[in-house]
Amino acid sequence: MPNFWKFLLLLLMSAVIIAVWVMEPPQNQLGEVSRLFYFHIPAAWVTVLAYFVAMRQSVLYLRRKELLYDVKASSAAELGTLFCILATITGSIFAKMTWGSFWNWDPRQTSILILLLIYGAYLALRSAVREPERKAALSSVYCIFAFPAAVFLVFVTPRVYQSLHPADSIIDASGRIQMPAPILVTFLASLVCFTLIFVWMHRLQTAIGRDLHREGKL
Amino acid sequence: MSTNLVAVIAVLIIWLGIFLYLVRLDGKVKKLNRK
Repeated sequence: MPNFWKFLLLLLMSAVIIAVWVMEPPQNQLGEVSRLFYFHIPAAWVTVLAYFVAMRQSVLYLRRKELLYDVKASSAAELGTLFCILATITGSIFAKMTWGSFWNWDPRQTSILILLLIYGAYLALRSAVREPERKAALSSVYCIFAFPAAVFLVFVTPRVYQSLHPADSIIDASGRIQMPAPILVTFLASLVCFTLIFVWMHRLQTAIGRDLHREGKL
Repeated sequence: MSTNLVAVIAVLIIWLGIFLYLVRLDGKVKKLNRK
């Protein structure tokens, strides 16, 4: 990533962290714990973005049969899983403070666990096959089918079943953004920062994967 | 307010640690690619 973006990321994320703790909590009735909102939702957003990138690169691999696309797909899926774990941990802390326990088998929590298992199986599948072309072909097909499941688990399941998880914390039922301007600006800045961190990490992960592949260690 | 200050400093240190780790990794990857 060019140095300009790195410098911008450093400044913007530092500003977000300071703003998150200097401003009033986004939901006063939930108290200090509601500040987690600025990190929990961006982590969940990056999870979906990463799984989308993994699916897109898998499609490109199947079309062009170049292993670089497979390396990009697996890097994105690994990072997606990392951010999914972050979203789960921050969500659990939120659950403890608002619902009384870290894990309640709420539809949102159950669906995120299934999502982690689906992509855990993807990573297990990759480590089980040694031949690079076969590994790439099998995992690409799996990844393409896994993404619609991810969309269903993140966006549909918690809305179909009764869940304690707030569904309209950003956009209300009428489609309007329901946040005061300072909170919205900080939230959007956090979203941009998390996306930049993902882009940077994905480039690094891809470069490392490509080198390992070149040396025959992958 | 003092608890908030401690929290801000702690999170800033964690963020700086992650950032510096990524910068270091970036440098190593660039060096490997030049070889």
